[in-house]
Amino acid sequence: MTTKKKRSPHSRNDRWVVVAAGKLGNYSAVETPQKDDSDPTFIRLRNPSTDAASLYLLGSGDVQLYEVKAFNEDFHSWFIGQTVQRDGRLLYVTPMDPLYLLLPYLIKAGKEGKFQPMDQVVMDEDFPACTRLLSCTRSQASLHHVAEEKEVGSLKYHRYSQERTMEWLKKKAERTVKTLRKSNISVGEGVNSTTYVRVKQESGTQEEDYLRYAHGLISEYISEDLSKALLKHLQLPELSSPKEVEPPSKKRKLTDKPVEAGEDYTKFNSSDFTRKPPKKMSAAQKTLAKVDKTGMKSMSAFFSPKGKADKN
Amino acid sequence: MDLDEFEADNSVSCRLASAIPDVCKTEDCCLGIDEAGRGPVLGPMVYGICFCPIGKKEDLKDLKVADSKTLTEAQREHLFRKLDEAKSFVGWALQILSPNTISTSMLQRSKYNLNALSHDAAIGLVQFALDSGVQLKEVFVDTVGPAEKYQEKLSQRFPGVEVTVRPKADSLFPIVSAASICAKVARDHSVKDWNFPEDLGEVDADYGSGYPNDPKTKAWLLKYLDPVFGYPQFVRFSWSTTQTLLDSKAVTVHWDDDEEDGEKAAARQNNTSMLSYFKAGSKTSAQQSNTHQTHRFFTERRLQSLATL
Repeated sequence: MTTKKKRSPHSRNDRWVVVAAGKLGNYSAVETPQKDDSDPTFIRLRNPSTDAASLYLLGSGDVQLYEVKAFNEDFHSWFIGQTVQRDGRLLYVTPMDPLYLLLPYLIKAGKEGKFQPMDQVVMDEDFPACTRLLSCTRSQASLHHVAEEKEVGSLKYHRYSQERTMEWLKKKAERTVKTLRKSNISVGEGVNSTTYVRVKQESGTQEEDYLRYAHGLISEYISEDLSKALLKHLQLPELSSPKEVEPPSKKRKLTDKPVEAGEDYTKFNSSDFTRKPPKKMSAAQKTLAKVDKTGMKSMSAFFSPKGKADKN
Repeated sequence: MDLDEFEADNSVSCRLASAIPDVCKTEDCCLGIDEAGRGPVLGPMVYGICFCPIGKKEDLKDLKVADSKTLTEAQREHLFRKLDEAKSFVGWALQILSPNTISTSMLQRSKYNLNALSHDAAIGLVQFALDSGVQLKEVFVDTVGPAEKYQEKLSQRFPGVEVTVRPKADSLFPIVSAASICAKVARDHSVKDWNFPEDLGEVDADYGSGYPNDPKTKAWLLKYLDPVFGYPQFVRFSWSTTQTLLDSKAVTVHWDDDEEDGEKAAARQNNTSMLSYFKAGSKTSAQQSNTHQTHRFFTERRLQSLATL
């Protein structure tokens, strides 16, 4: 479904182009919404990976969570109907597991080691809307994947469990690997052009490459600490960063021959060596050339005989 | 002159030609090439060839064809009709390069300049005459760019044909004059009743000569400037007149092959200045602690998270 949202046509960021999978909850252009608040709403929540604000969307009645990603490339604009939109981005609204967003709160509360009701756990001064995550259908049903549960009467209490979380994330990684294989996504090392589509299946791709790629993808949705723990749990060796590999040191071979200079600098002394000005100016030189020089004395003026300078 | 074929789609290049006189297929012929509408900012550029048997050169003189610039429009029309009547021994062909063709050629990624475009139009027409069976022995051309180079290019391209490139050839050789009349008449007709494919409503047809220095043309260009699209296809976008107007009055449009100054491009791409690395440590360390490397799945697909809409 492609939705074009239009609020007021005049100011800049009031309109955007969205691709959304299926229906956003009960909302669709044909059906009349059942509740007044059932329109999907954009909300800002804490991104578990960056700890900063990111944009999400809640489907009607807050039952379904979607993440919002923007395809953004230089030099793009839209023609929409009879208007032009300067912002050439394409927004993607895709379903997302709310557990990823609840995890940071559970982990934080878990440090106290107590079982707590979820509405006490999920609280955030910076992002008060986070409590709405609890009304997502998947939230309550899947909390047991990452936390231990206790039921007292009609109330449920939860406590974060690292083991359960690791098992859950491992399953996520395995499912991601399956999807990566199915969608023929190149996971191997090396640079790939975005416009170049590989026809042949890469032969050198190992299971480990897929798992590492999946781990990288999931790390976009969890904290750095969890990402490291998951790496261990998946038994993936940490990659040695290429920075640590030092270039082989250059050592002059010992010989009996007399040492000679590597380069001949005497050529600069000869008379026919003259410095030629560079033909093309660098960006910095160009900016300098543009400086308004009106009223400025030339450098040489300061070196002219005194008598002449006094006359001025 | 029947320009229907061009007017059916005036966004592309179009070739119009007379029937080939039988005598041209058996006797040695001479051919003249000239162009009309090289300078104007409006309308097409027209390349014309005229050919006749070498022995009939004198008959052409009797028609009193002369350089089209020295003739009035009515005289040109009259002469063209006479040329068309002499179809037993005179043939002609035209290549109409639409303003849109000129714009897109000159402004494409790998630039195709007006001289190259002109040379290729001329070569195409000569080739057309040869392919049609005209026994070409002599070709006379009014020059575009340096005469010697052009002559060498044409001679190499058409071995066995004696090529003469001369400035002012249209007043020196009657066959070139005839070609210039054909080209000029076609150009006049197409500009006079330009068929605007754009939905502009009632278009003010008072655009003058179409040359950049004509006040009427200037006024028309100011009147028909659209801030988003610029101009109808009637206007040559590659002319500096057009570019200057677009730069000052229309919305700025960035293309990815625009040449930008290093600093400007860097600012647009949000690059960090080299200098920032030498500033006090506080900022750099703060930056480092918050460097989250987005996974290549997203960077390769140009996908970003959003903080705001």
